[in-house]
Amino acid sequence: MDPVGEVLARSAVVSISATLIALAIGIPLGTALALARLPGRRPAAAVVNTGMAVPTVVVGLLVALLLWRSGPLGGLNLMYTLRGMVIAQVLIATPLIAGITMAALQALPPDLHDQLIGLGASRRQAVVRLWLEARVPLLAAAMAGFGHAVSEVGAATIVGGNIHGQTQVMTTAIVEGVGRGDFSAAAAYAAVLLGLAFVINALLTSVQQRSSSWARP
Amino acid sequence: MGAALTLREVRQRRGGREVLRIDALDLGAGERLAVLGPNGAGKTTLLRLLAAIDMPTAGTVLVDGVRPTPGAVALRRRIAYATQRPGLLSTTVRRNVELPLGWRGVPRPQRRAAAAAALERFGVAHLADRRAAALSAGEAQRVNLARALALAPSLLLLDEPAAALDAEARQAFLSDVERALGESTTTVVHVSHRPEEAFWLADRVAALADGVIRQLATPETLLREPADPTVARVVGYENVLEAEIGPAGAVAVGGWTTGLRATGHGPAIVAVWAGGVHLRPTGSDGIPAWVERVTPGPGRWEVALAGTLPLRAHVPLSASPPRAGEPVVVVLDPALATVVASPRHASCVRAAPASSACSPS
Repeated sequence: MDPVGEVLARSAVVSISATLIALAIGIPLGTALALARLPGRRPAAAVVNTGMAVPTVVVGLLVALLLWRSGPLGGLNLMYTLRGMVIAQVLIATPLIAGITMAALQALPPDLHDQLIGLGASRRQAVVRLWLEARVPLLAAAMAGFGHAVSEVGAATIVGGNIHGQTQVMTTAIVEGVGRGDFSAAAAYAAVLLGLAFVINALLTSVQQRSSSWARP
Repeated sequence: MGAALTLREVRQRRGGREVLRIDALDLGAGERLAVLGPNGAGKTTLLRLLAAIDMPTAGTVLVDGVRPTPGAVALRRRIAYATQRPGLLSTTVRRNVELPLGWRGVPRPQRRAAAAAALERFGVAHLADRRAAALSAGEAQRVNLARALALAPSLLLLDEPAAALDAEARQAFLSDVERALGESTTTVVHVSHRPEEAFWLADRVAALADGVIRQLATPETLLREPADPTVARVVGYENVLEAEIGPAGAVAVGGWTTGLRATGHGPAIVAVWAGGVHLRPTGSDGIPAWVERVTPGPGRWEVALAGTLPLRAHVPLSASPPRAGEPVVVVLDPALATVVASPRHASCVRAAPASSACSPS
């Protein structure tokens, strides 16, 4: 197995990148599903909610089929690369973030958006204000997205291949340790993974709780 | 400078149902219109069209000759819409008032000054640094109005701003709104289901029911000459009765002579304030009835009568109230009653721009 520091850095880079990309896609998508009065909104919302429950191995399989040498995106040579793993984790985290964003915006007072428009906000200004109003659940969405990405093993194994020195991440290293009967190494990786998750979530929680004090009566 | 409003052949449908139907409505710059109607009459629907939050299914809405649309941000920024629920953001009171000024590109020092002045006008300057979430309903509504008026809008849209307030707070709040508007030329459209609230600020009042303006008139005309039974109920008449005008002009209700007189002949409607229904002992001249229920009200006993006519009467609190089940004789006070001839109310479905009543079709 690779040194812990190297694997930790790889895990952090892949999962944080995937979370940031998923936020960039998921928040606007969830906002559109919550606010836009478009035909097909409900089926689209149902698809997003279903995406929240799709097993990560299924996502891994789907991405592998796309990225495989003979697949439609095979020419990009992303199979068994960190970029391929990022793509898989984006697909895992995006429905979660979009679903939570949609629910968070729908939980705001129903006429708040109209009030903002009625006071002269442009559509973009109104949406930014709504995001700020929903900042506590949106931070929860970021935490959930990151947690889902960093803890998944199925897609990382299928798409990354757990190649030493290249695509081994914390979760695949733990699986490999257990497979070899090296429980102490697996436990050490697990502890470090928990530490990474704790540090990121502690940071987000701190911001979240500071924000929530403004919304309390 | 206030904005002029023009509505022509406006239709709004929702869920396959027509919820608003206004053939014509014109409002001059600086005019104050109250829209009075029961819940579900279409009042908020009208405001949402004027605020460009919704677009009409058909017809034309013009603000100073320009169609308000969600994309017409420059026009929308001449309009301020205060929703029924204050919709304050989870930040400080001051920031809530300053934010819409910021959207308009007002520099920070001017924003501060305008917000401070608006909060001062509504007596909530001391709350400027408080979190909006910590305000009471009354305080939040004052901040909501301060936020709208700080924008010095050409068109101010008020959706039942005092609905959540108790009677005493409502009076004080409306006085503050009146003072804040002062001599301003802002055009105001204020919707309410409470007549006393609607009449407070209005030059003219539109009585709205089932999405249709039934009558557009001054508050006085609306009270003295309601165009139809619906309008009579909307403006607050507690008793609206089917009647018949006899050949000599005598008005009868339920076959009983009322002592009221009217011109015309045939079916009519009698609208009587509860204060105009006087109770006399049995044996007197009048309409026989019996007391169904007596409840204490503000400065009066509120009496529900049954019998030939279901009526509501007010008896001064200082007088001894009748007992439930007691037979009485009812006399209608001509000074507190109005007779509406049937042809007018039968066809009163259109609102002409400056008419005082609906015209027969």
